[in-house]
Amino acid sequence: MPENTPYMVAAYIITAVILLAYALLLYRRTLKS
Amino acid sequence: MNLLKAGRWITALGLVLLAGVYVRALAFTPIERTQGVAQKIFYLHVPAAIWTETAMILVGLASVFFLFLKDPRLDRFAEASAEAGIVFGSIVLTTGPIWGKPIWGTWWTWDARLTLTLLLFLMYVGYLLLRGAVTDAGLRARYAAVLGICGACLVPFVHLSVIMFRTLHPQPIILKPGPPSLPAEMLVTFLLSFGVFTMLYVGFVMQRYALSLLREEARHA
Repeated sequence: MPENTPYMVAAYIITAVILLAYALLLYRRTLKS
Repeated sequence: MNLLKAGRWITALGLVLLAGVYVRALAFTPIERTQGVAQKIFYLHVPAAIWTETAMILVGLASVFFLFLKDPRLDRFAEASAEAGIVFGSIVLTTGPIWGKPIWGTWWTWDARLTLTLLLFLMYVGYLLLRGAVTDAGLRARYAAVLGICGACLVPFVHLSVIMFRTLHPQPIILKPGPPSLPAEMLVTFLLSFGVFTMLYVGFVMQRYALSLLREEARHA
């Protein structure tokens, strides 16, 4: 495994988490309104 | 509401396609020789950065027109675009240092590009805080428009900072005079990722715009 792999994996996971979290947040906020 | 449903569908499709971009970037795009797999962060960092800057330019444009036309739709759009911009800005400011650590040997350095990007992000935060702090709708829209225009004026400095100042940050690879400095396989992956981020921006803005509308209707009901 190349030594930079954990950095790349972290970046991909964090990006997915941020996008999914905001999409869910918007969904919940629009459901409440 | 059609706008809300369309926004939800576009966002959902964008998230599904993002998984496809992950597969293409990680499994079917060659590894760069000098940076190794850390270079693949580029496929997320750069589209997010482009949309962070573009969202603020759109906030600024909508704000300029709002000050002339006083159309509440422009104010609503500016608010929605700023909130989407903060999401993409968060991605830029997390993936950037994660790439910087293995390549530069440090998570962060106070060079022009990084500092100005952080400043742009803080402008977004300030913009949304200002909107939350002013209760009068007319004043809120006017104050926010002024701050939105200031934020948009910062964007050219953010983008050109790597040319204007000596920085650690790489020179533009895509948004520069002349063709992109990427092999075709990498360029295709980048373009697919950029397309997905564009979809997500559109989906987020449509939903956030619809949310503002729903809140206004509830207030007047």
